[in-house]
Formats: sequence, C-alpha cells, structure tokens
Amino acid sequence: MLMRRRGMVLLGMACVPLHAAVSLWMPSVMGGVLDQLEPGSGPPSATATGSTAAAQAALADSCWLLLALAVAETVFRYVSRRWLIDVSRLVEQDLKNEALAHLQRLPITWFDRARTGDVVSRLTQDVELVRFVMGPLLLHGGSALCLLPAGAVLMARLDLGVTFACALAFGMLFIALRMLMPRLHKWSKRAQEAIGQLSQRAHEDFAGIRILQQFAAQDRELAAMATKNRRYLGCNLRLVRLRSMMHAITHSTTGAVLFAVLLVGGHQVIDGQLTIGALFQFTVYLGLMMFPLEILGWTLATMPRAIAAAKRVEELFAEKAEDSTGLDLPLRGHLLVRDLTFTYAGAAAPALRSVSFELEPGRKLGLVGPVGSGKTTLLALCLRFYEPPRGTIFLDGHDVLDLSPRAIRAVFAFAPQEPFLFSDTIAANVAFARAQAGPEDLDLAVEAAALDQDLPQLQLGLQTVVGERGVTLSGGQKQRVSLARALLGDRPALMLDDTLSAVDSHTERRIVSGLQRAREKRTMIVATHRLSAVTDADLVLVLDRGTVHERGSHRELVALGGDYAAAFRRQTEASALEGGTAP
Amino acid sequence: MSLEDDDLLERPIDLGFLPRLWPFVRPYRRAFAASLSLLVVSFAIELVGPWLLRAAINGPMRTEGRTVAERTTDLWWYAGAFLLVVLLGTACSYVYGQLTAWNGQRVIRDVRRQLFDHLLHASIGFHERNAAGKLTTRVTSDVENLNELISTGVLQSAFDLLKIVGVLIALFFLDVRLALFTVATTPVVILISILFRRNAQRAYRAVRGKLALQNAYTTEAIGGVRATRAFGREDAVQTRYEALNADTAQSWRATVYHFSVFFALVDFALRATGIGLLWFGGTSVLRGEADPGMFIQFWLYFGMLTSPIKELGEKYNVLQAAFASTERIFLILDTPRFPPPIANAFAPTARGAASIEFENVVFGYRDGEPVLNGVSFRAEPGATIAIVGPTGAGKTTMLSLVSRLRDVTNGRVLVDGIDVRQWDLTSLRRRVGVVAQDLFLFTGSVIDNVRLFDRSISEEQVWNALELVGAAEFVRALKGGLQAQVEERGGTFSQGQRQLLAFARALVTDPAVLVLDEATASIDSASEARLQNALVVALRGRTALVVAHRLSTVRQSSTILVIAGGRIAEAGTHDQLLRQNDIYAGMLRACS
Repeated sequence: MLMRRRGMVLLGMACVPLHAAVSLWMPSVMGGVLDQLEPGSGPPSATATGSTAAAQAALADSCWLLLALAVAETVFRYVSRRWLIDVSRLVEQDLKNEALAHLQRLPITWFDRARTGDVVSRLTQDVELVRFVMGPLLLHGGSALCLLPAGAVLMARLDLGVTFACALAFGMLFIALRMLMPRLHKWSKRAQEAIGQLSQRAHEDFAGIRILQQFAAQDRELAAMATKNRRYLGCNLRLVRLRSMMHAITHSTTGAVLFAVLLVGGHQVIDGQLTIGALFQFTVYLGLMMFPLEILGWTLATMPRAIAAAKRVEELFAEKAEDSTGLDLPLRGHLLVRDLTFTYAGAAAPALRSVSFELEPGRKLGLVGPVGSGKTTLLALCLRFYEPPRGTIFLDGHDVLDLSPRAIRAVFAFAPQEPFLFSDTIAANVAFARAQAGPEDLDLAVEAAALDQDLPQLQLGLQTVVGERGVTLSGGQKQRVSLARALLGDRPALMLDDTLSAVDSHTERRIVSGLQRAREKRTMIVATHRLSAVTDADLVLVLDRGTVHERGSHRELVALGGDYAAAFRRQTEASALEGGTAP
Repeated sequence: MSLEDDDLLERPIDLGFLPRLWPFVRPYRRAFAASLSLLVVSFAIELVGPWLLRAAINGPMRTEGRTVAERTTDLWWYAGAFLLVVLLGTACSYVYGQLTAWNGQRVIRDVRRQLFDHLLHASIGFHERNAAGKLTTRVTSDVENLNELISTGVLQSAFDLLKIVGVLIALFFLDVRLALFTVATTPVVILISILFRRNAQRAYRAVRGKLALQNAYTTEAIGGVRATRAFGREDAVQTRYEALNADTAQSWRATVYHFSVFFALVDFALRATGIGLLWFGGTSVLRGEADPGMFIQFWLYFGMLTSPIKELGEKYNVLQAAFASTERIFLILDTPRFPPPIANAFAPTARGAASIEFENVVFGYRDGEPVLNGVSFRAEPGATIAIVGPTGAGKTTMLSLVSRLRDVTNGRVLVDGIDVRQWDLTSLRRRVGVVAQDLFLFTGSVIDNVRLFDRSISEEQVWNALELVGAAEFVRALKGGLQAQVEERGGTFSQGQRQLLAFARALVTDPAVLVLDEATASIDSASEARLQNALVVALRGRTALVVAHRLSTVRQSSTILVIAGGRIAEAGTHDQLLRQNDIYAGMLRACS
C-alpha cells in the first residue's frame, strides 16, 4: 500500500537525514563563535582594536551561516513532517476502505461470531495505530536514528571523556524509560478498563433508573459505584506516580549530563585541553539529543502494541470471503423446504429439525412459536445467510446452494426482528431498499407501514434525522421504518420477522389490513408472536424447539384446539381488554 | 441540557462558575497550597543551576593566576553544588507531581460521586429527556476534563506565566540589552503559537466531528451488515463509507498542514532569536561588556522559556474544553432532585393496613394535556384492582404514581391512608412492590438482580421468592445457579423466565402493596401456565393494582376499572359490569 505513495515517502524520508545533518552542524558553529570571543575576555585595552573588528566580522559571518542553516533546517523539517505524516493519513484511508470492502464480502456466520465492538475497533483504533507507526514513528524514529549516532560521534571527536560520561547518563535514562514503559502501559490499560467498567455501569444505571428508583436501590448503587470510582482512582494514582517518576528521571538526567559536562569538561578546560566554546557546544548537542532519545524510548515501547494491531488488521484480511458464485438469474420465489435439519456450527442440538413445507408464489406463510423456536433461523436460511445442507431448500426448483447469494436475496424484501436504522433521514433509511425509488413509491411505502401517522410529530417529517445524531424513535417506530423499507424493496416476496412486535395493537391492525389489501400477488412470509398477523395465512407452522409442532391454516389450527388455539384465545382477550375487536 | 460540545467550545471561556468549584477543592486546600509552594520553590531552584554554571565558567575555568589544584578544588565545589541543585529540583518536581495528582484525583472523585448521586436521584422526567449515553459522558469524560483543569490546568498555566515573567526578569538582571531583544521577540513567538494553535484546534474539531461520523457509520455498516446483504446494497454502503473516509482523511491532512507550518515557524522563530542572542551577546563580549559565562547562563535561561511558551497555546485549548465540561456538570447539579426532601416524612415501623387510594388524580406529561383527568378509587387491604382500557389511556402511568416515580399534577395518591408525598421515599418504595412488563437486568449475578444488590436479603430469602413464583427450577439449572452471570442484558433468558424473575424481584422483600403491569400473552402454553401461578401467588394476601391483559386476571380481581379518556368510565366486579352491559361487556363480547 505504501508503494502507491512511494514518491511522497521517498521525498519525506530523504529530508530526515538532511535535517539531522543541518541540526548537528549548528552547535559546532556556535561553539566556534564562543571561542572567537575569547580575545575580548580580558580588559578591553589589552588587545588591539583591529583584532576586535576582525572578531566582530567573523562573528557576523558565523551568525549569517547559522541563519542559513536554520532556514535549511526549517525547510527540511517541514518537508519531512508534512509528507511523511500526510502519506500515513493516505495509507490509513486506503487501508480502511479496503478493510470495509473486505468485510462486506465476509459470510454472515463470521459476523455472528465476531463482536461488533471488536470489528469496529480493528477498523478504527488498530488501523490508526498502524498509521501511527508509519507516520510519526517513521519521522521521529528515523530522525532519532540519524541524530543519535552522528551526534555521539561528533561529541566524541570533541572530547571522549565528556562524551562517555554523557553516554552513561543517557544510557541509564534509556534503560530506565524502557523499564518504566511497560508498567506505564499496563497501568494505563488498567485505568482504561476501570473507567470502561465505570462507564458501563453508569450507562446501565441510567438506562435502568426506573427500577433503581422504584426499588429504592440508589444508595446501594452509589456504594457500588464508589468502589469502582476508588479502583479507578487507584489506577490513576499509580499512573501518575509512574509519570512523575519518568519525568523526574528525564529531569535529573538533563541535570546529570550537565553535571558531567561541568565536572569532566571543566577539568579539561582547566588543563587547557578544551575551550569554553567546546563546552558550550556540548550543551547544545545534548539539548539536540534529548528529544530524539525520549522519542526512541517511546517508539520502542509502542512498537509491540503497533505490531499487535497490525496483526489484528491482517487477521481481518485473512478471513475467507463468502462464496458469491452460482447461478445469477431472476427468480419468482417458489420456495420448497424439504426435510430441513440445521445445526449452528459449534452448537450441540440442531436449531431446526425435519422442517418441510412448500410456498407457491403469491401465497402467505405464517411462522409462530416462542423465542428460540427457530423462526429466525429458518428465515436466515432462506436468505442464505447460512448454508443449509444440500437438497433441503429450493427456490424455483434450484437448490439454493447452486444460486448466487445475490439472486436469492433479490427475491425477498426482509424486515428483521431487530430493525437496523442508519443515522440518517427517515427517507434515506426507507430508500435504502431501492436507491432509484421515486417520491410516490416512498410515500406509498410510508403509508402502508403506518409511518405517516408519526410524521406530524417529527419536525422535518421524512427528512428528520434519526438515531445517534438525531431523534430517537420508539421501538415501534423503528420497526415501521424497517417495514416501509421492506415494502419499498419491491421484491417478489415480503419477509417479516416479528416486525410488528413493538407496534401497538391499533396501529398493527391498520398495517395488517393494509398489507392484506396491498399484497396483491406478493408472496409473504411472516414470523410473529402476534397471531392476529397470520389469521389470513395459507399455511401456519407452529414451531417448538426447532420442530413443526402444529401446522395448518388459521381455521384448522383453531379447530385443532392445541397450543395455537389457546394462545389465540389469550391474545384475543388481551386485545379485547384494550378495547380492540377480535381479529 | 442541550449544550453540546461544539456549542460550548465556540464560546469564550466563562469563569463565572469557578467559585462553585471551591466547595470541592476546600477539603484539600492545604495540599493545594503545598503544591503551589513546591511549584514556586522548584522554579527558584531551576534558576540556580545556570547561575552556578556561569560561576564555574567564570570562576575556576577562566581565572588565571591560581594553581591548577586550587581551581580543580573550586570546580568540585561548584559541580557538587550543581548536583545538589539538580537533585533538589528533581525531588521537588516529583513531589509536586504526586501531590497535584493526588489533589486532583480526589477532587474529581468527589465531583463524580456527587454527580452520580444527583443523577440517581433526578426525576424520571429528567431521565426521559436525557439519553443514558449522554449522561454517562457527563460522569466520565466531562469529569475527566475537569481533572485537567484542577490537577494540571490552572496551576500549570499560572506557573507557565510565572515562569515566563520570572525568567524575563532574571534575563533583565543579567543583561538589559539581551533581555530587551528577547522581550521583543517573545510576543512574536507567543502570537504564532496562539494563532496556529487556534487554527489547528479548529482543524482538530473538524476532524473530531468527521471522525465521529465515520466511526459511527463504521459501527452501522458492521451492525447493519444483514440489512445490507438482504437488500444487496453493499456498494451503496461502501460508497458512503469511502466518502466519509475521504472527508476525514482530508481534515486530518489539514491538521498535518497546520502543524507542519506551526512547528516550522515556532522552531524557526526560536532559532532566529537564539542566533540574535548569539550576535548581540557576542558583540557585548567582544566589547568587554559581558563574559562568556554570563552568555551561557543567558542561553540556558532562554532555553527555559521555550517550553512554557509552546505550552501556553496548548493549555488554552485544554482549559477551554475543561471549562465547557465544568459548565455542563454544574448544569446537571443545578437541576432539582426528585423529590424535594421533606421534614417529618412518614416512615412506618409497624405494618399498617395496606390500602391504595386515588383522590381526584390529575396527571399530564405536558401542561394542558392531562393523561389522567380526575381519577378516584380506593383499594381496600387485600383487594386486587384490575385496570383495563385502550393503549395510551394512562394505565401504566397510574402504577408509577403509587410508588411515586412521578408526582400527580393535582389530587392525591394515598398509600395506607397517607399521601405518598408525605412518605419517606425509601419506606414507601419498600412498602410498594413493582412488577414491570419486561425485566430490566443489570450486569451481574442472578442473585444480585433478584435482590437488586441489597446484601441484607439473604440467599435463602432469594430462593424462597424464586420457589414461590416457580423460577427456582430454571435458576437451579443455570451453570452457577444464583451466582450465574447475566449476559447481554439477559439475552439468554426466555421471555417467560424473565417475567418470573420480575415477580421474584418484587416479592423478595414481601411488600404489602403490589403494582403489576401484566405482560402480553406468549404463545408458549407451558410458560403461560407458570406465569398464571406466579400471579396467583403474588396477589395472595396483598393489595394490588394490576394493568390486566388476561381475562383470568380480570376475573380474579375484586374491582375492575375501565379507563377511557383519562377517567374511570366503569367500575365494578366482573359480574356487575357484565350486568351493566356497557363498555366492559362490549369488550368481552369481542372475545367470543
């Protein structure tokens, strides 16, 4: 990926050693200036005024040279910083695009196993850490690698003893920093975890505030929170101690180095082996080397984390994409399920056992049963989110395993149990099903989903932004947006997975009767807890722990007098007690 | 509470509420004073070092006429003194760092505690207006920002200013001409610093906004992968993401530009000043007006200026964010707690007759739109009152008035013949048990969820409650039993199991009064039967107000209230209402 931007990288990289060279040139000029001043150190009359003038001219020359060097230094620094970091941002952008594109091709089973938070953190924090290595670390680390050895050599040429003393102090600083760094990471990670726990608990408490207040549990909660707060405080104090320690070590190293220069260098000056200018030059060198040294320690400490992050990103890319081959042809949606038994990977018991049914185009299928009875699994298999065993699910006579996922999904307009809305306008969320839908289509879908009754309350109507950055919709409203989306999808078959569970019964009746009218020739598959939604189904399957427990039309099932009939009676009562009429 | 990050950041810093921080700082004022004095001392010590260097250079290194041995001895003295100063300075800065952090951390712990306490006692209305996520940010990030203000911000900025002024004064003492030159250039550097920091800050804010959008969309793209697949809209998602990504990258690159320019300019300005010093200092030395030792001292002092100058601009931004956070924190602390404390609250020690009474109750969520408009009834001890009526008629609202989650707009709600507003709130809520329609589960063990972290309730009591409602069987089957951890908001429990746990939670304290929001019927006959049993057990010997969804529940009740249009449209027993042959009878006809 770096190859694409290699021009920028090379230019930026070339400036790093150039900058180092110029930076290291300056101290010697400065030292020279100070030594030139020596003649003037005695009483003014002692030396000829001529030599003073000459010294002044030399001083001016040196200052001009320094100014030129400073300009060069600035330019090199600017170019290297600008281009290297810029490139790292571009690489980050490419990497993120490719990672998402890859994710889009991974099978749904992968997403079932992966936690959204983890995937998101790979796509954000991990990629950003990788960028960090390529940008700032390339810049500062490269700079440190040029400056440190070259600086050491230059210092050694001035005076070996002082250099050695400084190297010793710096070496100790480096070792100390390296020893402290892992502990710093450890404790900052713990502090992160502690604040994470605190944050999670607080979030939960605010979400469940009714319960806490109703059960007068606030003070107990406060005590529990205080413990978490204290733990976080503890971590933070440890962190602070480590930081102060690092700061103190850095601080004292600077002092120790100056002490070494003063003591060892002072001796040399007294012995006449070293000039004061050279002594000054040392201090300037040391000032130059302090920062790269700290950066180097920091780089080495960050490296393991960056490598781990890079590995996690790589893992993402190593995942195998969903098989997208197969026949890609328009389908009518004749669905045949034959003796389907399906077990999730890693599960002990099958989620579905010997399920069989046939659904001709234009017919309606009802799936009812308690949570975990296999309704959603059956729908997901029809959409080929999971691979069914060969010879169990057929669309228009083709085994779904021989069809491309694209062709299969073009059959069904799906409204899932947990509606998923983007933080976007309601219109955009509905139109997600079909980009080229016209405004009339949109209005029709919105009306059919009974969303129109909510629009007057929303300030911008269909243009209201929902979700994280906008209006929070109720569960029922979200479900109806999701339903409108499915309706707009305009596919041969409509697939609703308990889509109306949070919609109040009055609105539900309106939607259901509207759907019955508008359905026309559309096939419908409805999984639901509310039996009123399937009274007009051609076939209802009552699922219980993966098996078909009862089957038949609504009328037949009521006549059967089993679980379905009992549940239907209870639901009729509940609806009646809310003032509704029987379905 | 609509103050969002960016609104506050755009405004100038408002210091008006700073005095309000005083009560939090007060307990630690001595430590703060100590911390401040340490700061001053460490600065003074820092000034001594370069002076010693100069003395060493001008003294033993350059004085002619004394023996090498004497000069070496002197050098040792100076070097020794220098080392001492370094060690002292290090110790001071270490202790200062510790002390400041200690203070700051304690202050923010107290702030966080009080804020959390306040939020737990805020009204339900407040919580309905403010999303849990937003309030969590107040307790975490905003308090963290305040920490910046307290532990490093104010003190450090004051110190940075002090340092700049102090160093400049020291420079004047050393050499007026050099000092004047430095003073002339310092504002330029500060100006560049502030100017570009501000631009960079703006660019950063743009980045933060765009990155937040992009990251939110990343989460959505991954969370919504099934919807995307189902509708075959992978390309649309990818296009949108790439556009957001390009936008973010563009903003990032703008910050890169600002920072590159900033660092280049400031570094160059400092370098140029240094070169200027070399020139002026050099000519002074040449003219014999200064000595090289002094020049080195001056140089070192000048070096001490660079970091506080560079940091001032940065601190400004940190402080701005901290002030905004502090303001948000105090806005919350200013909201009234619910309910306002009263004197002589009723806290019964002995169990009285359990009764519920509504006296002409009016309640509305918004002014002029009453949900309940004059509701009166009385539940005698041991009676079960069933409420039926259309969705949105205020049935659940009636329940929340009994345990005083909300206050009536008008009229009175009485428990045991005493207005709930006269009750000690904790006593009232112990008296009134609540069974909600769905069970809110907290992260933690099953036992903690049943007894809601109340350790005074024994394990045995919890088992009894579970037995009573018929939940013991499945809890025993859990891995870990009572200690089993609840995962993902209880996703592992079936709907029926969750409802049984909700019963157990209410009954574990054996309340005399019960308010119950009956869950809608499930398809599963077995769990339905268990729920019926739990209901019978729960109502036995208690005074109860039940929002009923089942005919069997209604039949069992002593009185049925039909709510319509904010009033009680009909009241009576099942048989009475059937004979009356009006609304209720009409409802039942719909069933058959």
